Amino acid sequence: MTRILAVAANTFRETVRERVLYNLVFFAILMTLAGLLVRQLSIRQDEKIIKDIGLASMELFGTLIAVFIGVGLVSKEIERRSLFPLLAKPLGRGEFFLGKFLGLAFTLLVNTGVMTAGLYLTLGATGAPLDAGLLRAIYPILLSLLLVVAVAMFFSTVTSSALAAVCTVGVVVGGRYADVIRNMREVLPSAPPWVVSALYNAVPNFRNFDFKDRVVYGDPVPGDVLLWVTLYAVLYVGLVLLGGLLVFRQRDFQ
Amino acid sequence: MRKRSPLPLTAAATLVALVAGVAWAQARIDARLGSFRAQDEVLYLWSGEHVRRLVPGFEALAADLYWLRTVQYFGGQRLFSRNKRFELLRPLIEITVALDPRLEIAYRYGAVFLSESPPVGAGRPREGVTVLEEGTKALPGSWRLRQDLGFFHFLYLRDAETASRILMEAAEIPGAAFWLRSLAADILGKSGDRESARRMWRQMHEQAEEGILKANAAVQLQILDALDQADRLTAAAAAFERHAGHRAGSLAELRASVLARGPVVDPAGVPFQYDVVTGRVSVSRASPLWRPGWGPPEGGR
Repeated sequence: MTRILAVAANTFRETVRERVLYNLVFFAILMTLAGLLVRQLSIRQDEKIIKDIGLASMELFGTLIAVFIGVGLVSKEIERRSLFPLLAKPLGRGEFFLGKFLGLAFTLLVNTGVMTAGLYLTLGATGAPLDAGLLRAIYPILLSLLLVVAVAMFFSTVTSSALAAVCTVGVVVGGRYADVIRNMREVLPSAPPWVVSALYNAVPNFRNFDFKDRVVYGDPVPGDVLLWVTLYAVLYVGLVLLGGLLVFRQRDFQ
Repeated sequence: MRKRSPLPLTAAATLVALVAGVAWAQARIDARLGSFRAQDEVLYLWSGEHVRRLVPGFEALAADLYWLRTVQYFGGQRLFSRNKRFELLRPLIEITVALDPRLEIAYRYGAVFLSESPPVGAGRPREGVTVLEEGTKALPGSWRLRQDLGFFHFLYLRDAETASRILMEAAEIPGAAFWLRSLAADILGKSGDRESARRMWRQMHEQAEEGILKANAAVQLQILDALDQADRLTAAAAAFERHAGHRAGSLAELRASVLARGPVVDPAGVPFQYDVVTGRVSVSRASPLWRPGWGPPEGGR
C-alpha cells in the first residue's frame, strides 16, 4: 500500500507540473469572463448561464485532462525507459499501475475542487446565490472523469499514446449515446435482445453521470441514484483497471 | 525476459463478477431514471437553434441521433407506443428539423402524432399543422409535404376550403401526383366527408414506407370502415323499429333479425356499442378504433 501511495504521490507531482495548472487558470479566467459577459447580455438568465458554462467546462476540461494525461501515464514511462528501473525495485506492476491511476485521480479531484471554487466565486461575484445543489452534478462529473482515466490507461497499455487518445475519446463520445443502443429494438425488433444488452453494457454509459440540466433547473437528484451511479463507476473502473492491469502484466518490454 | 503466466483463475472470476456487477448496476440506474431519459432531457434545452450552435459541423449527425431517439420513444416499427409524454414530441421534432431542415419524414411523423387523438397522439392538430407549415417553408419543392398539409387541414381541422387551396398549390409543384387537382375540387364544401377522408388516408398509406406512418394510415382506414358499419347498423336498428314496432333491445336481437347484415364487430374485432335509448350504434370505447369525440352517451349496450 505504501508503495502504491508513493507512486500516486509522485504521479500527482508529475501531473501538476504538466501544465494542468495552466488549464485551471484558463478555466477560471474563462468562467469569470463568461460570467461577467452574460450578465450584460442576458435577460435575467445570468445565473443559469454561469452554471451551464461552469458545469460544462468542468466536464469538458476534466475529460480532456483525463484523456491526454491518462494515456501518457504508462506509455511515457515506457517510451522514456524510466519504467525499467522502477520495476527493478521491489515494485510490482500492479502497484505501479494502480499508483498511477490514484495519482491522476487525486489530480482530477484537486482540479475539480478548484473548478468548483471558481464556479462558486463567479456566482458570488455576480450576486447569485451559492447553490449547494450544484455538488450533485459535480460529484458524478468527477466519477465520470475517473472512468475516463481508467479507460485511457487501459488503451495506453494496448496501443500507442496517440491511438489510445483517439480510442478513449471514441469511447467517451459513444458512451454519451449508449441509450440509442439500449433502445435499438424499438426500431429494429428483430435484433436479438442479448446482443443489444451485451452491446449496451459493453460501452461505459457516460450519460449516467450527467445531471447538469437537472441541477441547474433545480430538479431533484435522489441520493439513491447517486449511490447507484457511484457503484456503477466503482465497478466499471475496477473492471477496466483489472483488464488494463492484466494486459500490462503480460507485456514484454524490450 | 520471464514468461508471464496465463490469466489467473481469481482474476478471471473477478472480471466475470465485475461484468455482471456493471450490468446489474446499470439496470438499477435505468429502472430508477428510466430508459428514455435522453428524450426527457430535451425539455431542458432552449431550442433547436441552441442545439445547432453546440454541434457546428455535425448538424446532420446530431439530427440523425435526435430523429432516432424520437422514433425509439414514440414508436418505429412497433405500432403506437403507449404511455408516452407527448409534450416531448414537439421539442424533439423541432430540434431534429432545426439541425436538418430537409429531413422530410420528421415533419410528417411529427404532424401525425401531434394531430392524432390520445392515446395514440397528442391531440393537438393545430401544432401538427404548424409543423407541416414549417416543413413546406423549409422544403418548398416537396409536393408530398404540401399535400399532407392540405390533408391535415381537411382531416383534423375540418377546413375543406383551405385544404382544397393547399392541394391545388401542391398540384402546381413539379412532379406532383395527377389526382391532386381532382381531389382539391372534390373536397370543396365537403368538410368532414368520409369518402374524401378515405381517399386521403389511402394515399398516405400508399406513399408511406413500412412502419408506424403506414400502420397509422391503415388504422385510419379501419376507423372509417368502422364508422360506415356503425352507420349501417344504426340504419338497420331504425328499420327494425319500424317493422317490429319497438326498438331492438340489444345488438344480438338486431343481429337475429335479417335486417342487420354483416358483422356486429368493428374491423378490430370488438363488438359495436348499441345505445338502447337512441337506437344508435357506435364504435365501442374498448376498441382500438375508438376516438374521443364520437363516444355514445353512457348506458349504451
